Amino acid sequence: MNRIRLSQTTAFRLAMRYAAFCCLLSAACLAALYWVTTAKLDAQIDAGLRAEMSALTRLYDLKGIAGLREAVAARSTLPSLAASDTGDTGPRQYLLTDPQAELLTGTLAAWPHQLPLAPDMWATLVVALPVDQPGLDQDGPRVRVRIHAVILPGGYRLLVGQALNETDELRGTLLSITFGAVLLTLLAGFAGGAFMGRSVVRRLEQVTLAADSIMAGDLTRRIPEEGGRDEFDALAQKLNAMLERIEQSMNRTREVTENVAHDLRSPLGRLRTRLETIARQSNPTEREVLQKAIEETDRLVATLNGILSIAEIEARTRDAWQALDLTTLCRDVAELYGAVAEEKHLTFTTRLADGVQLSGNRQLLAQAVSNLLDNAIKYTPPGGRVSLSLMQDTGHAEINVTDSGPGIPEEMRGRVLERFVRLDASRSQPGNGLGLSLVAAVAEHHGATLVLDDNRPGLKVTLRLVR
Amino acid sequence: MRVLIIEDDADTATQLVSALEDSGHKAEHAADGVAGLQCARDGDYDALIVDRMLPGMDGLSLVRTLRAEGRDVPALFLSALGQVDERVTGLEGGGDDYLAKPFAFTELLARLQAIVRRREAQPSVTRLSVADLEIDRLKREVRRGGEAVPLQAREFRLLECLMLHAGQVVTRAMLLKEVWGYDFDPQTNVVDVHMSRLRARIDGDARTPLLHTVRGTGYCLREPD
Repeated sequence: MNRIRLSQTTAFRLAMRYAAFCCLLSAACLAALYWVTTAKLDAQIDAGLRAEMSALTRLYDLKGIAGLREAVAARSTLPSLAASDTGDTGPRQYLLTDPQAELLTGTLAAWPHQLPLAPDMWATLVVALPVDQPGLDQDGPRVRVRIHAVILPGGYRLLVGQALNETDELRGTLLSITFGAVLLTLLAGFAGGAFMGRSVVRRLEQVTLAADSIMAGDLTRRIPEEGGRDEFDALAQKLNAMLERIEQSMNRTREVTENVAHDLRSPLGRLRTRLETIARQSNPTEREVLQKAIEETDRLVATLNGILSIAEIEARTRDAWQALDLTTLCRDVAELYGAVAEEKHLTFTTRLADGVQLSGNRQLLAQAVSNLLDNAIKYTPPGGRVSLSLMQDTGHAEINVTDSGPGIPEEMRGRVLERFVRLDASRSQPGNGLGLSLVAAVAEHHGATLVLDDNRPGLKVTLRLVR
Repeated sequence: MRVLIIEDDADTATQLVSALEDSGHKAEHAADGVAGLQCARDGDYDALIVDRMLPGMDGLSLVRTLRAEGRDVPALFLSALGQVDERVTGLEGGGDDYLAKPFAFTELLARLQAIVRRREAQPSVTRLSVADLEIDRLKREVRRGGEAVPLQAREFRLLECLMLHAGQVVTRAMLLKEVWGYDFDPQTNVVDVHMSRLRARIDGDARTPLLHTVRGTGYCLREPD
């Protein structure tokens, strides 16, 4: 049986699609959250800087450069810097220079040269800071800083900044959470898909296994039900109910066949014994007539046995299968019929590949080959040719029986496999028309294909068996 | 031969008894399994004919019981059921042979004699002879009137089978089973063709024939009258 691969199951694929969809959705949600959060933070920072700047410019307007310098210097001391660190961002930064950009006071070492000069400047720059500022010691001297700067009346330049080290940390955390959540959704989806796929595969494999052994002939086999109320149990119950009915009807057919067999065989047996008894006590002339009657009875019995054999083969299990050498089997049957072919002055050739092994029912296969040769010899006129060949390729063994007889018209080739169908409508040839039907039943029992073909002239029968 | 027939069909049983008596044998009849088992235990029979389906106790259990008790009287099963599986279960259950209904009485008689002979025969006997026909089973040699007769392997097996049952009728079905190992009935009488070849080898034209055809039944190898 072909095992079902997990990645090919519908359940697994559906779960994978669902997981991908969930991933996309959660990624979108988290991205939106990240964007809103950081935008809000940035706006807050900018608002803080704008408020501070307006406070300082008002001070400059009131007290001039000396007052401003004093205020900026006061704010640049470590304790006030520490106080400005709200925990969400980082310490404030200040710088006040004269119109030549010479440092008057502040926390920065020099006017950042990347900052283009304009009356009202906004920028986010990476700046070197003195390392002894609070909250910066772990981050080293270079940090991202949000900067707002103005040129005051009189040419003095004032810069207010906000170190972003802690904001950046927050952004990092947010990003990690986003990636982590997406990854987790993906993993959960994959695991869930595998789990669902596995349980579906397991349930379906139970059905496949049961079907396999039923096809092998075990009609009593059922699909295990797990007592739940899911769709698989519902399916198993329906299938089992169907199997139950099939088994019952098969059993009824078998019973009928057996009863017919019994009811016909017993009286036929008594009839034959009676005829034999009278024949023993009769004169030669009467005995001749009785002998004819006995032979007629025997033909009747042979036909009955033929039908019953076919019915029996059709209902058989593979219990009697064994490993067998098809080469030996064909050689033995060929030897049995070789003498008959010779008697009828036919050229009988065999071409048998060596050591063709397969498993099957020895008696039935021998009977099938025997029937094919029997037919070939029976329908080929004296002087004709009959051949038996056995070939093998990977996975198959092929038995061919050919003759140079009249062959079978194409439109009749399917029909002759049916019971009692014979080509000569007058039924003048001996035989009961069951020979090929039995071969067909044996082929069916072995899962083999049986093909009748034109041998130009004659008939070619091919029995292709699985090795 | 003293034969016990265990068969529930009275008609078949009566006919069997009279046919066996006509052939010079003694026959008794039991109509069900339990009575049959009792008779088989008490009487001294050379062979049993047992129907597979019997009231009281089926044929298979009956023979199994006898075998378990150490009684090895030859038993032949009769059955109106299917053929292929029945034979196997019958033989596995301790039966010596199996015959499907309807059967020719001659076939039944031939098989009965064969299973009784098989019990008596010495399997170690290597030389067999009928009149001036001798075979050596070890060397696979055949002589007729002192002259070597060359035989093919299958012809030798045929002759060997007939020699082992010398004086008895051997049916075509028995030969197919013994010599070729086939349980089925070929459509043509293939055995006849092989027998006519064997006959040509061992019974020349001028000689006293030893191999006889029994019409409608089979063959018999026997001493000339």
